Amino acid sequence: MSQLRRDPITGRWVEVAVTNPKIYSDFDLKPQIKKGGTCPFCPGNEKMTPPEIEAVRDHHKTKPDTPGWTVRVVSNKFPALKIEGELDRRGIGMFDMMNGIGAHEVIVENTDHNKDLADLTPAEIKDVIIKYVSRSKDLENDMRFRYILLFKNHGESAGASLEHSHTQLVALPIVPKRVKEELTGAQHYFKYRERCVFCDMIAQEQQEKDRIVFENKNFLVFCPFVSRFPFEMWMLPKTHSPEFKSIDEFAIQDMAAALKDVLMKLKVRLNDPAYNFIIHTAPIRDGFYEEYHWHLEIMPKLTNVAGFEWGSGLYINPTSPELNAQYLRETKI
Amino acid sequence: MPELRRDPVIGRWVIISTERAKRPSDFNIKHVDEPEAECPFCEGHEKMTPTEIFAIREPGTKKDSPGWNVRVVPSTNPKFKIEGNVDRRGAGMYDVMNNIGAHEVILESPRHLTDIYQLSEAEIQDVINTSVYRISELEKDIRFKYCLLFKNHGLKAGGSKKTKHLRSQLIATPVTPTRIKEELRGSMFYFEYKERCVFCDIIRQEIETGSRVIMDTKTIVAIAPFASRFPFEIWIMPKIHRTDFMNIQADEIQDLAIVLKTIFAKLSKSLNDPPYNYMLHTAPFRRAKRLGYWHTIEEDYHWHIEVMPRITQVAGFEWGSGFYINPTPPEEAAKYLREVTL
Repeated sequence: MSQLRRDPITGRWVEVAVTNPKIYSDFDLKPQIKKGGTCPFCPGNEKMTPPEIEAVRDHHKTKPDTPGWTVRVVSNKFPALKIEGELDRRGIGMFDMMNGIGAHEVIVENTDHNKDLADLTPAEIKDVIIKYVSRSKDLENDMRFRYILLFKNHGESAGASLEHSHTQLVALPIVPKRVKEELTGAQHYFKYRERCVFCDMIAQEQQEKDRIVFENKNFLVFCPFVSRFPFEMWMLPKTHSPEFKSIDEFAIQDMAAALKDVLMKLKVRLNDPAYNFIIHTAPIRDGFYEEYHWHLEIMPKLTNVAGFEWGSGLYINPTSPELNAQYLRETKI
Repeated sequence: MPELRRDPVIGRWVIISTERAKRPSDFNIKHVDEPEAECPFCEGHEKMTPTEIFAIREPGTKKDSPGWNVRVVPSTNPKFKIEGNVDRRGAGMYDVMNNIGAHEVILESPRHLTDIYQLSEAEIQDVINTSVYRISELEKDIRFKYCLLFKNHGLKAGGSKKTKHLRSQLIATPVTPTRIKEELRGSMFYFEYKERCVFCDIIRQEIETGSRVIMDTKTIVAIAPFASRFPFEIWIMPKIHRTDFMNIQADEIQDLAIVLKTIFAKLSKSLNDPPYNYMLHTAPFRRAKRLGYWHTIEEDYHWHIEVMPRITQVAGFEWGSGFYINPTPPEEAAKYLREVTL
């Protein structure tokens, strides 16, 4: 008998196969193959991208938009949102709309076309995270924006259009719906218990242990009890904090170590699957969300989301998070 | 300038790219012909499926034998189990229950067809009647709160590798799914404020504006919604306010059959048989014994069918934020579909 499990934050139900779950070898996985060719993110091709916004480089010896960098931030050449202009909120009859104002940036994580985030050293990943933080802080100063979304698409089926490893940042004039649901859920839980739902989750996961994939001083990575997707993982900072950008240097170091470990395990165990990760953090300039707890969600793309899931928001996970966590824990890297 | 548009029902924002608008030819959908196994759903193969639950068949023919037009069987790979109790319980801070539910497959034709437009209008009417009947039967099981009717067409939309045989699926669940709850809440909220049904208001404004209407019949209308999440997303709605799909009337069934046949023929022609999902959004089962539904649901909720072609990759950005980027403005999608000649 499989179970229906309810997410304590959003109230979403997920069907989880606890008996006869699919195991990792049931997924027909082919490794991501890089085609190569001219890449705008490779060193030497800096002129192919919009001008550099920030970079990790020796600023005395090298100039912007030339080689010599290790991490590089540029505007997206084909942005989903435009940076110039006013929002101009308006109604058309019963409908509401505004101009598509926002920032859309790309963080190129390293110079090697063939290296993914998982292949970098923890120190190199740390530099990437530092850029996530500094870009978040900078964009917060723009009064038009209310949310900063950091996400990564790895592999074609996860929506990556360029194969050189990169993370994207979108600053939005609205709070996205999925985030709002979490904020409302966390507030609701807090009202009732005067505790953070994410902190409670960390406590229960540490007690039960069977869903934990990785743990260090500042971070816990586990396959959530209510996983929507096979091998879904959440990375939570152990110290309660609503905003990602307030992460300190020690935590950045631990986050880099945690990312390295779990992304590498995923790569080894599942033959380099396509995945997305997303940082969920509190909105900016929208009140202080004391109840919220920022985190990172990793969603491997192993199955096709079918009509039933789309239409209902009721996900069917053919695997069990307990078993997946065990596979990942036991994976040697 | 790209536009941000807000869905009036649930408040989801969508980015509509207006500059680099993608036209149907930009999507370039390719098909690889893979050999199919012997189809268990074709006429003559009735023994390959579990025992039939219901069928519209020729008088005098027997159950699980040829002679049917529409046939309903339990899923061979059920996502939910029909026997047992729901048994709601807690596990620390988490909530758990057994996944009790019904999972049925509606075989929409005895012939090996693959898309609904290949049926005649009369045959589509039989399919609609069968769906209505099965949903009303499942409502009798008091363990169920909701029944979802949906179709996965094509591999990318979650269709099966084994056979493309034309079919839809029904899943009855012991919970009301999140996506439906959002809509119910949104429509209730709108009603509280305006004392009108949000879907009726949408229909009125769309028919008046005209630019997003794809097809308008006497009782059923098909539109490309203002805040479409996907290129060529389509909503099909009854023009007269109806909460439950089960209460569909004879003239609406006729019109719905015409609309389905036309819309899917146009979609298939203009986008080269794209993968798609469609699903029915109807009100949850309401029973006098179990209160807990607001008294205005009959007035504020309105059943409809959502069609979602799966021609773009939904990436991390969309998943993580519930915020979609649609490269095809719905006005252009509607115009294109209106103008396609069959």
